[in-house]
Amino acid sequence: MSESRRTVDARGQACPQPVILTRKALAEGGFDLLEVLVDDASSRENVVRFAGYASCVVEGVAEEGAVSRILIRPAPAAPAVVPGRVFAAPAPAPVRVPAVPAAAGTTVLITAAGIGAGDEQLGALLMRGFLYTLTEAEEAPARIILMNGGVRLAVAGSDALVNLVRLAERGVEILACGTCLEFYQLKEALAVGRVTNMYEIAGLLLQGRTISI
Amino acid sequence: MTGLLATFRTSHEALRAEQTLKGGGLAVELIPVPRQIRSDCGFCLLLEAPGAALEAERLERLRACGGQDVWRVTVIPSPTSSRKEKRYERIP
Repeated sequence: MSESRRTVDARGQACPQPVILTRKALAEGGFDLLEVLVDDASSRENVVRFAGYASCVVEGVAEEGAVSRILIRPAPAAPAVVPGRVFAAPAPAPVRVPAVPAAAGTTVLITAAGIGAGDEQLGALLMRGFLYTLTEAEEAPARIILMNGGVRLAVAGSDALVNLVRLAERGVEILACGTCLEFYQLKEALAVGRVTNMYEIAGLLLQGRTISI
Repeated sequence: MTGLLATFRTSHEALRAEQTLKGGGLAVELIPVPRQIRSDCGFCLLLEAPGAALEAERLERLRACGGQDVWRVTVIPSPTSSRKEKRYERIP
């Protein structure tokens, strides 16, 4: 028997739409294999990551020009066959809300390029000082999430970049909001860390300790 | 690593000195003043200065752009942690 397949065409869709469409399709179920088409590198990464969080298996990612074809096998449902009994087709397995595993450690959330309201130059100076101090701290945070104007810190030409790179070298994960990078047209300029989405950000903020700057 | 650290009277002076020195091709870093040092302003400039000749030249440049006190910085491995410690010695 051939496998049933459903295709989600998320080409041309902005973040986080591809993840939302993938999530919706997985929640509806009724197929053996889900094929998601995206035409953007960060959408591809976000969909693959989401599939992992939802306990699905990513069977492959095929690149066809600018388009990525992601094959996702949904998480197995409860035992479908019990000897001696015939079951109707199992109800689609509920997709788990993406819990982010291993979110131990402190998360630092930075939502602006400077610290606090007031003079912009002072705010930027304080931010540089703060990030430098983190590089010197005995215990580094597990991750830094950059949102809104905060993504400007991680792009080429930023004064704070050198310290974010040092933190990354120390094992601190630097996560930049994809929507924000796209909004400011800085996607190509991201110089440290990786692009993330609201699902991952919300998951991380809801677990463990978060310090908001 | 050995380097030089200069304090300034105000953060505006520190920022201005950073621009001047960077404009002159020096790789300087604006950082919070370390706990071991007292200064009127919370930020200072740090730059690498290996060797006596470079140190003398950079010391002069730091002073020329408003450096208040200048300290020689030596990085030493910490006996108690994996982090490196810095030793600060004030240059009269």
